[in-house]
Amino acid sequence: MKQLFPVKHVMGYIFSLILSLVALAVVFFDMSFAAGMTILLVAAAIQASLQLFLFMHIDETSSKKTLYLNIVYALFVGLVTIFGSLLAMIWGIV
Amino acid sequence: MKHDTSLALEYRTEENENRILGFWLFLGAEIVLFSTLFTVFFTLSHRYGNGPTPHELFELKGVLWETFLLLTSSFTCGLAIHSMRLGLKKPMMTFFIITMLFGLGFLGVEVTEFITYVHDGATIQTSAFLSSLFTLLGTHGAHVTFGLLWGTAIMIQVKKYGIDEATANKSFIFSLYWHFLDVVWIFIFSFVYLKGLM
Amino acid sequence: MKWDEFFVTGEPMIYAADICIVLASLAIIIGLTYFKKWGYLWREWLTTVDHKKIGVMYIISALLMLFRGGVDALLMRTQLAMPNMTLLNAQHYNEIFTTHGVIMILFMAMPFIIGLMNVVVPLQIGARDVAFPRLNAVSFWLFFAGAMLFNISFVIGGSPDAGWSAYFPLASKEFSPSVGNNYYSLALQISGIGTLMTGVNFVVTILKMRAPGMTLMKMPMFTWSILITSVIIMFAFPVLTIALLLMMFDRLFGTQFFTMTNGGMDMLWANLFWVWGHPEVYIVILPAFGIYSEIISTFAKKNLYGYKSMVVSMVAISLLSFLVWAHHFYTMGMGVVGNGFFSIATMAISVPTGVKLFNWLFTLYKGRIEFTTPMLYALAFIPSFTIGGVTGVMLAIASADYQYHNTMFLVAHFHYVLIPGTVFAVIAGMHFWFPKIFGFRLNERIGKIAFWFIAISFQVAFMPLFFLGLNGMTRRMYTYSPETGFGPLNMIATIGAFGLAIGFIFLVYNIYYSFRYSPRDTTGDPWDGRSLEWATHSPVPEYNFAIIPTVDKLDAFWFAKQDKKSLFEGKKIEEIHMPNNTGGPFVLGVVFFFLGFFLVFSWWIPAIISGVVVLILLAMRSFERDHGHHIHVEEIVETEQKLRGDNA
Repeated sequence: MKQLFPVKHVMGYIFSLILSLVALAVVFFDMSFAAGMTILLVAAAIQASLQLFLFMHIDETSSKKTLYLNIVYALFVGLVTIFGSLLAMIWGIV
Repeated sequence: MKHDTSLALEYRTEENENRILGFWLFLGAEIVLFSTLFTVFFTLSHRYGNGPTPHELFELKGVLWETFLLLTSSFTCGLAIHSMRLGLKKPMMTFFIITMLFGLGFLGVEVTEFITYVHDGATIQTSAFLSSLFTLLGTHGAHVTFGLLWGTAIMIQVKKYGIDEATANKSFIFSLYWHFLDVVWIFIFSFVYLKGLM
Repeated sequence: MKWDEFFVTGEPMIYAADICIVLASLAIIIGLTYFKKWGYLWREWLTTVDHKKIGVMYIISALLMLFRGGVDALLMRTQLAMPNMTLLNAQHYNEIFTTHGVIMILFMAMPFIIGLMNVVVPLQIGARDVAFPRLNAVSFWLFFAGAMLFNISFVIGGSPDAGWSAYFPLASKEFSPSVGNNYYSLALQISGIGTLMTGVNFVVTILKMRAPGMTLMKMPMFTWSILITSVIIMFAFPVLTIALLLMMFDRLFGTQFFTMTNGGMDMLWANLFWVWGHPEVYIVILPAFGIYSEIISTFAKKNLYGYKSMVVSMVAISLLSFLVWAHHFYTMGMGVVGNGFFSIATMAISVPTGVKLFNWLFTLYKGRIEFTTPMLYALAFIPSFTIGGVTGVMLAIASADYQYHNTMFLVAHFHYVLIPGTVFAVIAGMHFWFPKIFGFRLNERIGKIAFWFIAISFQVAFMPLFFLGLNGMTRRMYTYSPETGFGPLNMIATIGAFGLAIGFIFLVYNIYYSFRYSPRDTTGDPWDGRSLEWATHSPVPEYNFAIIPTVDKLDAFWFAKQDKKSLFEGKKIEEIHMPNNTGGPFVLGVVFFFLGFFLVFSWWIPAIISGVVVLILLAMRSFERDHGHHIHVEEIVETEQKLRGDNA
């Protein structure tokens, strides 16, 4: 039975539940927008990496560099799209 | 085709390795797809028209249930793949079934949430904010729905053929998809619900 | 819905088109039946998973679409030839410039490029096929379904009429009530999914299936350009997927994304469209750069100058291409910071492009230049494209753009980059690789006549538009008065457009002529080429290479020829594993066509049924256990002997 529940997986699961609770703090505690967003961002980024490395085994083969590059490129395009659009559609509008 | 037999079963032919790489690349495209939906949501998230605001709309209870269900199903999906690598078909199937059930539970809560919104007069046509909200959540929900169908098809194949190169490969790829949906949900949870309620 | 709303009525030209379509379809059906070719068509083409055949089908579709888009162009140019012409009314003109743009970019340039990359890339890297041959067939049939869906719009339901960029609010249900823009959103969606799959497929193919010894930096430049292009496809097309989805929702389900009320934001469409749209420009231009690199180095008989800087420039372009989209709407009012950022990023992109131009010039320098037809296109490209690039930098300057925005100057600019860039490149590529696919070259004399018609007419057709734009003629104007003084230059441009048409007629005639009269090539290497595709026979056997070549440097085949060595030494012919043909992708394409068609007309029940059928087809594919087939050694030896021409 024990071999079916490897420690890494169980720890990862518990950790992701904790991180969700940490993120929840932004709703219950009064804090600035910047502080809240920072907490959300950090918690979400750690959770995403947990999934990538622990559950998706992104680093287990010889093509891991390609996989990292793929994720980085996708995040680059995704973030550029989000923030570039906000710049063009909201922040910049005079 | 000589191939490294020290690798896990799902990698053991050239085609299998290509499929896994190809699916990772596809997930890269999915990251951009969801980023675009987030772009739309962030751009329109304060444009309520005559409709409700997030504070009037969102209820934390359902969202927490959804998060718990999906995180757990992601965990059991990881365990299923772990069992598969140990060559244990029975626990693998059990974990897969649990994964599917939790996924179904998630979907149930989400559908209930949608029905409540619509009952309160907040439909996809009400305001730009609601259009973008329903579309972002709906696209994720549609992915989960597709995942349930796909996962079921793979379970049937594992049951029929056992754990071989083909079914191991398919199961592993499905697990990538399922974990990815969990990652997307984490961002929805954080930047749609929690940010909306801040 | 009444029948006269379903079919487009009231236009004599449309009736003529109706008759032509019916006659052409009848001719095809009768022809196939009479010559007993149905089985051949099904076995050899519709069910094929062979990358070469899929490539050929892409190119044939692209040529058909070139004809359709070309007719649109000629109609527009005729309408504008003189002031106050009445050939087309305003509505018809709107529809035609819309379909011209969409078809030329998405259903001509894209499939032509994808066709060439299908044919060439696996050969250039010494592979037997792409990584996912069956997915490749799915990509093609989805593209084809999308293209057909888009094309029937002008006889059934009405064409889209809001421009190829379909800006809101014009493209909304309120201002474009016909089903035209439904066609736009669904046809592009279906073919776009296919394109996305192609992108993934080719990245895996190029990363994982190269011949032994071929490291990334030893790949031919065309393969490099396709790798970068596929990466851009993978990350740009999802944005289009979403944009089109939202457009469909707005038009079919009354959502508020791009509306003018309830918080909707019309410019968000323009923003999303160009987030995809600008990388798309590089998707169609980078492969062209790759093709020119191959052609210039082959016919200058020199290795490509600055290989590394070529690669670095392409990577830089791929990243920068995602940072410039907002230069398409400087005049929207996004403020100084936004305009400034996108202006600088846009100008920056001309640096790597400039590097590439200099590299081609240095490759030509002191080369032994052979003026073949493909080479002529490459040489015409360099100065023409430079004009397009330089005017692009002019447009990139945000403050000056207020003057050029939406004028004929812009139209001239993008035709100067797209025609010498993409169109000349795919024509040159077609001439260059034609012998590889069919085993004989296109006739050089007719090819050169076509080239001169095309190259000169191009300048005549588009140079005047720069001046018309600067004089204040806006784009998408269906007519103008004599007092504007636009008449003479427009007349010149129209003459140029018809010259281009004559050039294309020569081009097509050349294909027919060469099929009948061209001498067959027995060497497999008619141009004295440099990369691996020339190392196998022409036409290429099903399995591409009887023995997978081993390479140790860039242009290994070229150096092997110099040293009188073989790339196949020390290896024996072994059994080859190949994928089986399948009708699945074709059927999936057909079902997707109907799914799209029913959604266009909001016929929900049939649409839902089609959607369920799609899921069933996917499930059937999942349960299928298809292990492909093996070609035995004796069979390979026999084929090889036949292709070599000896009967021993």
